[in-house]
Amino acid sequence: MTRPSWHLTPDEMDSLLRGEAEPSLLQHSEECAECALLIGQHRSVIRTLESLPELVPSEDFADQVMFQVAVPDPFAMRSIATARQRVLHDSRARALAASVTVVLVGAMAASVIWTSFNREVLTSAGNWLGGEATQWFWVALRGAFANITEQPWFDAARQMLGAPVRLALVSAGASLLYAGGLFALRKLMTSPAEGAAHAGA
Amino acid sequence: MSTPQGIQGLTDQEVVALARSGSEAAYRELLRRYERPIFSLVFRMVRDRELSEDLSQETFVKALNALDSYRPEFKFSSWIFKIANNTAIDHLRRRELDTLSLEGSPHAATPEAIEATALQIGARQETPLDTVEAKELGGQIEAAIGALRPEYRACILLRHVEGRPYEEIAEILDLPLGTVKTYIHRARNELRDALGHLRE
Repeated sequence: MTRPSWHLTPDEMDSLLRGEAEPSLLQHSEECAECALLIGQHRSVIRTLESLPELVPSEDFADQVMFQVAVPDPFAMRSIATARQRVLHDSRARALAASVTVVLVGAMAASVIWTSFNREVLTSAGNWLGGEATQWFWVALRGAFANITEQPWFDAARQMLGAPVRLALVSAGASLLYAGGLFALRKLMTSPAEGAAHAGA
Repeated sequence: MSTPQGIQGLTDQEVVALARSGSEAAYRELLRRYERPIFSLVFRMVRDRELSEDLSQETFVKALNALDSYRPEFKFSSWIFKIANNTAIDHLRRRELDTLSLEGSPHAATPEAIEATALQIGARQETPLDTVEAKELGGQIEAAIGALRPEYRACILLRHVEGRPYEEIAEILDLPLGTVKTYIHRARNELRDALGHLRE
């Protein structure tokens, strides 16, 4: 080996490492001790990197990803594709689709224009609708209440809840029942998840 | 529609076309093809198993939910590696990581957490001694990679671990070809210095 006055540039060294170097560079790498050492070291680094193992994610990785991915519905996709194909390839269907589009866009534009010039009419219509809705709500409420008071069990229930002590007892009982139900529901929903978490740890 | 066996013989572009038409098997095939390379790249970028799982999941969810925006004239691998690299780099910009452990997450507080975050390596080892030696050597290499600048790390991993050509790396990282070559050369120099004692 000799000690030439020049050395390989990074690009030339890359081409040598890729096995794409010109013969003159190959010859230099054989003659220049410094370049040969450097190329050997780079080759060693490359071999080390290439020998690194492929890393494996957890077993349920794919399932966890798929859980968050929205797969298109094949039936809907086919229907859309068929409709699109029909519209694109049939001149009558194309004309019909264009007419429907024009009518829809025209109707929307007319609606926007009319609205901007008739705000008072819209406001009064909204007020009338609001008033009617409120009236119907109260009528329905009164009807429901009258229906309940006419039931045969209404007087007995009223008498039972008439005394403050009985009312307190019934309220306490109902509250206890509600709290018990909530507790049972919570227990039912949390137990399996906690178990799974411990199993995974 | 293709069977899972049939799907395996298709190109990425063909599998993507099937997925776009609503085939769940095609989605799973894309996952099967890329889950290990993406997870390996992300792990070596962020050096934390749990975090790598999260970021790899984020990568796949982003990619698979946006298959309509993928242009088949480009390589699918470039597209998904680009998403993975951006996801990892975004994370690194938000948070700096400085230690590496093949034995578990540096952020794990309990022995159970350390065990749970320990790295599973695609098995090549044969004996317990081989395993220990490989882990020690692997740990030093991984640590040296981890000490590189993130841009160098991405370049060198894509080139010499994933075997991607320079042009594709430039496309994935949105960098000029010359810059990619420079980064790879510098990264190799730094790794050569860091791993010099292994040759002695």
